[in-house]
Amino acid sequence: MSKNPSNLRNIDRLIHEPARLMIMTQLYVVESADFLFLQNQLQMTPGNLSSHLSKLEEAGYVEIVKEFIERKPHTALKLTKTGRDAFKEYQQNLKRIFANLPE
Amino acid sequence: MNESSLREVEKRTYMSYHQDGLIDIFVGVYVLLFGLGILFSTVTSFSTWFVIPAIFPAVMVPIWMSVKKRITMPRIGYVKIGSRGVNKLMAIFIGLMVAGLGAFMVLTFASRSQAWALTLRNLIIPNGMIIMGIGAVIISALFAYTMGLKRLYAYGLLTLVLFFTGHYIIIPFAYLLVIIAFVIIINGSVLLMRFIRKYPLAPGDKANVEEPL
Repeated sequence: MSKNPSNLRNIDRLIHEPARLMIMTQLYVVESADFLFLQNQLQMTPGNLSSHLSKLEEAGYVEIVKEFIERKPHTALKLTKTGRDAFKEYQQNLKRIFANLPE
Repeated sequence: MNESSLREVEKRTYMSYHQDGLIDIFVGVYVLLFGLGILFSTVTSFSTWFVIPAIFPAVMVPIWMSVKKRITMPRIGYVKIGSRGVNKLMAIFIGLMVAGLGAFMVLTFASRSQAWALTLRNLIIPNGMIIMGIGAVIISALFAYTMGLKRLYAYGLLTLVLFFTGHYIIIPFAYLLVIIAFVIIINGSVLLMRFIRKYPLAPGDKANVEEPL
């Protein structure tokens, strides 16, 4: 892989997929959110959201926190430090690519 | 994906989280308590009315959170906003309120012996409603812009218009607060009813019961 920062190959393909980019963006601006909130905000089906979340979890970008709220089981989703760093790097890479494009 | 796109996503999150109107109802009740407290103190010379609004947040915030968990969470899910955007604004707002209160106390104390402080105090007190109206519209606009809640512009504008009117045609401050409170509570109630209708709960629905992952 080229070391050129403007190279498109430096783009994180896991984040670049539109549905996962939406999930990462939504989780980036909050501390945590649950499955239902993400589903409502992103207008995704449970199956689709679940499958993308699993991929992000496998990559270590999303953490699934099981907790109890008023004695009811609750699943909160949040970006890990790796996920936040990866998202910031993705942002920087995109900026560099667009900055280096000819007029 | 730049900073302004992130702000848009953040705004959409606030709009979604506050579409239930609960924040309006609670803020409205708070303003109403202030108004009724002042009204009550003028009728009965009960001078410690401000204790009620002072302890209100400590009592009402847990109630608000509980209502949010029962009404909002099962319908649109749960989100913890974190330390970006409006929380920073809230910290600045509380800081400014404390600084303003401190400045007012210093001014009151200094006006006993310093001529400049007395002049300044005599300028502020008779124009208090205009100053508060302008303050309210600035604060409302800041929160409206950060949170994307357009109704906050309307609340700020209403406060400005009422306080200006009250200043010139001499309407007691307490009455104005009660009017503002009722408008906010009614609007909040309408939003809450709309929200409940928009997101009906199926029988047996619970807040975010284990999702398949």
